[in-house]
Amino acid sequence: MSETQSTGINKIKDSASKKTLEYADCIYRNAEADDFFINIKGELNQVDRLVSDAVNNLVVNFKFISELTKSHHEMVLAIEKLAAPEGSKPILELLEKQMVVADKIEQELEMAVTSLQFGDLVTQLLAHTSRQVEMLSIELQRVDRQSGWGKTSNKKMLKRVHEGISEAVAKTTIKSTRKPVVQQGMQMGDIELF
Amino acid sequence: MAKTILAVDDSASIRQMVAFTLKGAGYEVIQAVDGQDALDKANSHQVNLVLTDINMPRMDGLKLLELLRKLASYKNIPILILTTESGDEIKAKGRAAGATGWLVKPFDPKRLLEVIGKVIG
Repeated sequence: MSETQSTGINKIKDSASKKTLEYADCIYRNAEADDFFINIKGELNQVDRLVSDAVNNLVVNFKFISELTKSHHEMVLAIEKLAAPEGSKPILELLEKQMVVADKIEQELEMAVTSLQFGDLVTQLLAHTSRQVEMLSIELQRVDRQSGWGKTSNKKMLKRVHEGISEAVAKTTIKSTRKPVVQQGMQMGDIELF
Repeated sequence: MAKTILAVDDSASIRQMVAFTLKGAGYEVIQAVDGQDALDKANSHQVNLVLTDINMPRMDGLKLLELLRKLASYKNIPILILTTESGDEIKAKGRAAGATGWLVKPFDPKRLLEVIGKVIG
């Protein structure tokens, strides 16, 4: 084998090896992208679990406080009945103060009913975001499969990457369902009777 | 005799907050986790009002509304929608399907009771 022949074969070998590497790199990049999207979904699920857990605990606490408030209210009324015949002014004043406290706790509990609904809003938003991430991941994979990156120059490839991402985002946007939660705060929502 | 309200929501915390509010006002509350569960319970209980969410698995609130209105015993029963959604398009769908009213979450207990008092008589 001449030196020229050997160099030629080496060039072919190099070229084949480069293509294999490019292909491997492409697969590696896809696997990396998949991992990235899986991580995002995992983190969104983690937030969902944390929020759900916190809400469940808060609801249990809320119910317990509510039961205690009821008992306290009933106790104050019972003491008031017992103290009334005596007409002891300091005791009656103290009981009146207790009733004011009980009423205030009830008002706060009512406000907590509105605030505690945040869990439902967050869960719906997370599910919506998670769906969008998944759709974007699928669209990007599809664009990647169709593009044939290896056959073009770097400049053209970059252009295709940009176009591919834009296309994937546009398709995800079209496929997205309407956002289920538009609330920006926990203020009471509108009411309309038909 | 206490009036019975069927509260439908896939969120356990919302169901509990609704039940807490309504029971505190003297109503009987039946809870359902989605439209299908609500339909089953509506068929086996006498209900005076239905309060339902929209976005739920298995059967959503609009489908439930549509099916309930087909039942003779639910033709004139007030059905209120309690949802995070407030878009005109979906509201119009609810109205067309026979909803009595539309309440956007989060609800305020006092206002919820006022509305229920108004529609339940």
